[in-house]
Amino acid sequence: MISDALLFWFLAFVTVGSGLAVVLFTNPIYSALSLVMTMVGVSALFVTLGAYFIAGVQLIVYAGAVMVLFVMVLMLFDLKQELMAFSRGQITGALKVISAGLFLGLIFGIITKRSNLSFVDKIPSPADINIDNSKELGTVLFARHIFGFEALGVLLLVIAVGTVALARSKGGTHAKH
Amino acid sequence: MLNTDVFVNIGINHYLGLSAILFVLGLMGVLLRRNAIVILMSIELMLNAVNLTFVAFSRYTHRIDGQIIVFFVMTIAAAEAAVGLALMVSIYKRFKEVNIRFFEHLKG
Repeated sequence: MISDALLFWFLAFVTVGSGLAVVLFTNPIYSALSLVMTMVGVSALFVTLGAYFIAGVQLIVYAGAVMVLFVMVLMLFDLKQELMAFSRGQITGALKVISAGLFLGLIFGIITKRSNLSFVDKIPSPADINIDNSKELGTVLFARHIFGFEALGVLLLVIAVGTVALARSKGGTHAKH
Repeated sequence: MLNTDVFVNIGINHYLGLSAILFVLGLMGVLLRRNAIVILMSIELMLNAVNLTFVAFSRYTHRIDGQIIVFFVMTIAAAEAAVGLALMVSIYKRFKEVNIRFFEHLKG
């Protein structure tokens, strides 16, 4: 019980710290590496929630594929330390931070005050955790959500074609015809 | 004596709070940063926070559908990153920088 709590707080510390680093680092490469750390932390949180398959997919898709894409594009651009990494206006910046903080306070208020979710969920006993998690996931995905699955396939095809077309266009957005 | 119950018994509210914090961090990244790639990264951070909420509720209600939605969200996020980075490449070809202020020249 104590070890579960310690694990959660450690992971929360890691994810929030590296998430903060994503926003605060002025060098985009450091931001990308901090984002990898956040992804790994979130994946470990999925494991603590008993979603093993999702945790693996998170590691492969995000920490593997998407972040490699980000880092490759960053290296293609050869960006140095940025001079104007943050937006300029002090007052508007303060307003943005304040409104984001208000939003956070709103969510926290809803979670703690209005929810009738019991604050203490049961600690997962071995019978509670679904061992055949991936099997059940596949069954539900291909039985109840088959239309969404097919739609995603079509979307991925469109995205693949569109990405290649966008990146290949000569002269970027201001092509002379 | 200090009541340590909140710190020891980890429930769904802890996960929801953590994901709210992550979401707001991503939101601040989107609002404050000027580099378009970092903005894309912050959007990925927000999507991850939402995924965490889905999985927490899936665990809480003992229904697997939340994890299915996480699949869909991950796919959409990967597609969005691909399209966004292609846009960055074409912006960079023209302006040699990926600052967000160049996006106002995207017309035409």
